[in-house]
Amino acid sequence: MARAVVDPLTRIEGHLRVEVEVNDGVVTDAWVSGGLYRGMETILLDRRPSDAFYVSQRICGVCPVSHGHASTMSTEDALGITIPNNARIIRNLIEAAQYIHSHILWFYALAALDYVDPVKALEADIADTYALAQAAGTGVSDFGAVAQRLQTFVDGGQLSIFTNGWFGHPAYAQDMPAELHLIAVAHYLEALEMQAVAAEIIAIIGGKFPHFMTSVPGGTTFVPTEQKLDDILFRFMRLNDWVTNTMIPDTLAIAPFYAGALEYGGGHGNFLSWGMFNTESPEMTDRYMPGGVVMTGRGLTVEDPDPAQVVEFVEHAWYDSPTGLHPSEGETNGMFDEYNTDNRYSWNKAPRYDGESIEAGPLSRMLVSYLRGVQPVQEIVDGALAALGAAGRPEVLVSLLGRIAARNLETKVVADWSLEWCNELIEAVAGGDSSYFQPHSVDQGAGAGLWEAPRGALGHWIDIQSGKIARYQVVTPSTWNVSSRDAEGIRGPMEEALVGTPVIDVERPLEACRVARSFDP
Amino acid sequence: MAHPAHYREAHPFIFVMTHWINLVSIVALTISGFYIHYPFLPGLMSVMRGMHFFFMFVLLINLAVRIIGAFTVKSATRLGTREVDTDIKNWLPQKLNRGQMWPWLKYYLFLKKEHPIGAKYGVLQKIAYLFTIPLTLAAAYTGFAIWGPTMDWGFLIAGTDAVGGPMAMRIIHYYIMWGFILFTAIHIYLANIEGTDPSKLIFKWEETEGLQFDAEGRVVGGKGH
Amino acid sequence: MAHEDHDAIYDLLAARGVSRRDFLAYCGSIAALLGLSEAYVPQIAAAVNRGARLKPAIWLNGGACTGCTEAIAQADSPDVATIVLEILSLDFIETLSMAQGEDALAAAEAVFEEPGYILIYEGSVMKGFDGNALRIGGITGLEELEHAAPNAAAIVAVGSCAVDGGFVMARPNPADATGVSMYLQEKGIDTPVVNLPTCPVNPEWVVAILVDVLLLGTLETGAILDKLDRHGRPKYIFGQTIHDNCPRRGHFENGNFVYEFGTEQEALGYCLYPVGCKGPQTYTNCPIVRWNRRASWCVEAGSPCIGCGSLDWVDVGAPFLNRHRDLPLPEVGNTQPNTIAGVVAGIAAAGLAVHAVGMKATGRTSGGAPYEEMKERDKKRMKKGGGE
Repeated sequence: MARAVVDPLTRIEGHLRVEVEVNDGVVTDAWVSGGLYRGMETILLDRRPSDAFYVSQRICGVCPVSHGHASTMSTEDALGITIPNNARIIRNLIEAAQYIHSHILWFYALAALDYVDPVKALEADIADTYALAQAAGTGVSDFGAVAQRLQTFVDGGQLSIFTNGWFGHPAYAQDMPAELHLIAVAHYLEALEMQAVAAEIIAIIGGKFPHFMTSVPGGTTFVPTEQKLDDILFRFMRLNDWVTNTMIPDTLAIAPFYAGALEYGGGHGNFLSWGMFNTESPEMTDRYMPGGVVMTGRGLTVEDPDPAQVVEFVEHAWYDSPTGLHPSEGETNGMFDEYNTDNRYSWNKAPRYDGESIEAGPLSRMLVSYLRGVQPVQEIVDGALAALGAAGRPEVLVSLLGRIAARNLETKVVADWSLEWCNELIEAVAGGDSSYFQPHSVDQGAGAGLWEAPRGALGHWIDIQSGKIARYQVVTPSTWNVSSRDAEGIRGPMEEALVGTPVIDVERPLEACRVARSFDP
Repeated sequence: MAHPAHYREAHPFIFVMTHWINLVSIVALTISGFYIHYPFLPGLMSVMRGMHFFFMFVLLINLAVRIIGAFTVKSATRLGTREVDTDIKNWLPQKLNRGQMWPWLKYYLFLKKEHPIGAKYGVLQKIAYLFTIPLTLAAAYTGFAIWGPTMDWGFLIAGTDAVGGPMAMRIIHYYIMWGFILFTAIHIYLANIEGTDPSKLIFKWEETEGLQFDAEGRVVGGKGH
Repeated sequence: MAHEDHDAIYDLLAARGVSRRDFLAYCGSIAALLGLSEAYVPQIAAAVNRGARLKPAIWLNGGACTGCTEAIAQADSPDVATIVLEILSLDFIETLSMAQGEDALAAAEAVFEEPGYILIYEGSVMKGFDGNALRIGGITGLEELEHAAPNAAAIVAVGSCAVDGGFVMARPNPADATGVSMYLQEKGIDTPVVNLPTCPVNPEWVVAILVDVLLLGTLETGAILDKLDRHGRPKYIFGQTIHDNCPRRGHFENGNFVYEFGTEQEALGYCLYPVGCKGPQTYTNCPIVRWNRRASWCVEAGSPCIGCGSLDWVDVGAPFLNRHRDLPLPEVGNTQPNTIAGVVAGIAAAGLAVHAVGMKATGRTSGGAPYEEMKERDKKRMKKGGGE
C-alpha cells in the first residue's frame, strides 16, 4: 500500500491537492482537497443584486459567463423578471462562445499533455505527418515549421512551461505514432489561437473576457449593430470549422490509443444537469440541453431535476457552519484546523442531491440530452460510439474516456447551435425586434439561477430584501465534483472516479492526474 | 424691527454686490453641481460644466474681494451709534461678545424671552458666516481634486489618496454642497423670520430705522419701539 | 540602426522560429504598447540582442480565480505561445505547467535559487486562517510568496487582487486578503513591485511590462521604477482616466445620455454616465488598448465601466449602476450618500418648520421679541464705542 500525493495538481482552474492510496498498481482510495477559501458569499451581502452579477463572476476566471448568468437569473427569478427574446438569444451566444473557448482550452492546453508527449513529436517524419493528418481527416498545419520551432525550443535548453514534465512516462500510449504527437502539438498552438477567437466573441458581446459586463438582471446592455453581428457570426463560423475539422478528428484519432480509459474513471455513475441554453420556455427541462438526473445504478433513465433535493455537508471541510442545509438557507463560515484525511481536509463543501454524491459536467449534460432524445447529441454520440467500437453502448461513456469524449463532442454540438442562434438573432433584428432589456421595479424576493458552466451544474441562490442581498449561496460545478466526503463518509465524484484507476508509477501517478483533470476542475 | 442697525453704512454697496454675487454663484454652482452629479435633463452637460467652472472662479474671486473688503471697508456698526468700524470686526467674535453665546442659544430655543442686545451680528451668526470661508475653500480644494485639468496636481493627489481615492473626494465635494444648502436654508430662515428688513437692505440697499437708545441704554425710539 | 544589426537580430529570432514578418509586426506592436513612436522600433529591436538566454519567470497563483492566467492567453501580439516559448522561460505556472506536484514545485525551486528572475503574482495574498485560506503543496500561500519574493528581480502583481486584494478584500474581507506590495512591506521584503490592476489584468499591459524589462532593459537600469506612479502602476498605462479617452466622451459633453438600459439612447451608443459609469475616476487606458486582442471593451459593449482598475474597487464602485458608492453606516448598512443627505436635509427642514411655528407662537415673527434690558457691560460698550 502506498500513498501518492499530487499537490499542486496543475493545469486546472484553482488549487487542488490529489491524494490517492495505491494497492497493487490500482487506486483504492482517494481524497481531493480544494485549497482556497475566499468567502465570496459574505462579500455580496447587503449589496445590490446587479452587483452580484458583476462580482460573483470572479469565482471562476475560466467560466465567468456562466456565473454571471446564474447570478443574474437568480435575481430575475427572485423578482419575477422575464427577459426579452433577443436577450435570451444573446445570452445563449455568449455562453456558446465561452463553452467553445473553455472546451478547446481544456482539451489542448490543459489535458492533452497527459496523452501527448511533446518530446516524442520530435521524432516525427514531416511527410508522414501530413499523410497521417490526411488519413485522420484532421487539420493540416505547417508541420515542418512547428517541428522546427519545437526543436529550436528544446535545443535552447530552457523548457519554460514544460520544465520537469513527465516526458517518456510509461503511461503514454507507446504505440501512438510520433506523427500523431506532432499533429497534436501543432494543434495545441492552433488551439491557443482558437480559444482567443472564441474569447473575442465574448468581448464583442460582453465587453471583455474573462469577466464580462453586459448580462445585467433584466436582459443585456449589448445592442447588436450590423457591424457587431458580422463580427460575431464570422468568428463562430471559423470556430465551427476548426472544431469540426480539427478538434473532433483529433479526438477520434487519439482516443483509440487510450481505449483502456473506457474501463475506469466512471465514479459513482450519478449525473446531474440543470439544463443549458434557454429556449423560449422557462422550464429547465425544455432547454437545448435539457435538465435531468441520471442515476445509472437505477438504470439508464432520466428524471427531472429537483432543486429542493440539494443539501450541503461540511463534516470534512473547513467550515463550522451548520451542515446539511439547502443552499437557500446555507451559511459560509470558514474555520481551519489541520489537513487530515480522516477528518477535515478541504475547503470544498460536500453537496449532495437526493442524498447522493453526483457528478456535474459535459458528461452529465450529454447523457441527459442523449437519453432525452436531443437529436444532434444522439447523432454525434452514436457516431463516436461506433468509431470507438462501442456502437449502441452509451453506458461506456461512464468512464474517463467517456468524460473526455463527451466534452469534445459537446463542443461540436454547441458550435453548430451557435450558428443557428446567430441566424435566429439576425432574423429577429431584421424583423424589427429591438427589445433587449426589461425594466423592473420589484425589490423583494428569493430565487435561484440554475444553470450549467462548461464544467457542470451551477446554482446561485439569492434572497433580496428591500433591494439588497440578504443571503447569497453558490454551488459551483467543482463543489459538486471536487466535493469532500459527506456525513456518511461517501466520497465526492472525483474521489470515487479515482478509485479503480490503474497507476503504473506510484511516484508519478499520471493516470490519476488524468482522471482528476477529466473533470476540468 | 428688533435690529439696531439696518442702515446703509452697515452694508456698504460693495457688500451688497458681493452678497448678490455669492447668491447667484452658489445657486448656479448648486444647480450645475446637481446636474453634473446626475444629469437630470439631457443635452446640457457642457453648458452645466461650463457654468460650474465659471461660477467656481467667480465665487473664489468674490471671496478674495470680500476678504480684502473685510480689512479695508468700514461697516461694523457700533452699539447705539451710527459709527462704523473696520468690517473684520463684524466677522470675528469680539472680546465683548464673550458670554453672549448662551443667551443667543437660549433665545432661539425659546428658553429666553427677550432678544439679546447686540450690534450688527450675534455670536452664532458671526461663527456661521466665518465658517463659510473654510467651506468655500474646501469646496474649491475637493472640486479641483476631481476636475480633469487639475486632478493630477501633487497637493491635490495627496488629498485624494488621503481620503481614499477620487470617489471619496467626489462624495466629500457633494456633501460640501449640502453644507452650503443647509447654511443657506438656515441663513434665509433666520434673516427673515423676524421680518424682512435685513433682506431689503442686503438686496435692495433699502434702509429701515434701527432702534435708538438713551445714555442709560433704554430704548427710546426707532422702528419696533 | 545599421542594416547588419537588423539581420543579426533577425537571425537570432529566426533561430528561435520567428519569421521576419512576425518580428517587424512584433516590434511595431511593442512600440505602440509603450506609447512610443515608430522611431523607437530600431532601438527596441537592438535590445533583442541582449537576451540570448530567456529570462526565467515564475507565475504564482494566490487567492485567484485564474482569470488573469486566462487573460494572458488572450494576448494579441506577441501571443501566449510566443511568450512562453520564445520570450520568457516560464518554469512554473499552475494553470499551464506540464509538470505537477513535487516536480512542478521543484521546477520553481530551481529558479528561486538563482536571483534575478521575474515573479508574476496573480490573485490576492490570503492572510486568513494564518494563511491557510490558501494551501499549495502542503504550505500556505503566504509561505510560498515569502519564499519566492526576496530573490526576484521584480514582482509583477497582475490584476486587482494581487495589487490590493481586489474583490476578495471587499467588506467584510472574510479571508483577510491583501495585495502583494502591502504584504511584502509588512514583512520587510523590498523587492520592487509593478502593480497592474483591473480585473482581470489586461494582457497587453503584462506584455508591455515584459517588453519594458526584457527589451528596454529597464530593470537592470532601475528606469522602470521611474515609470511607476505612487501606487506602483506604470504611468503610461494608468496615467489617464477612461473618461479622458472614451469614444463616447463627445456624447457626455453634448449631454446625450443613457438613463436606462434597453432604450433608444442605448442603441445610439450614448454616454453611460447616469447608469453609474466609473470611467471618470478610473485610471486605465482601456479605451485605447481595448480587450481581447482589441476586439472590444466594456463601454463599447454597452456597459458602464465598473472601475475594476481602481484600488479597493468593489467597495469604491458598488453599487456599480449608481453614480456614487454606498457608505457602510453602522446598524443601517450600505446606504447611498444622497439618501443620507436627504435625511439630514429633511430633518433640518422639519426643524426649521417647527422652529418657525415656535417663533410665530411666541409672537416674534413681526419684529422679533422685545430687547432685553441693557446690562452694565452693554452700556459700557455703548459708551466706549465697541461691541460690533
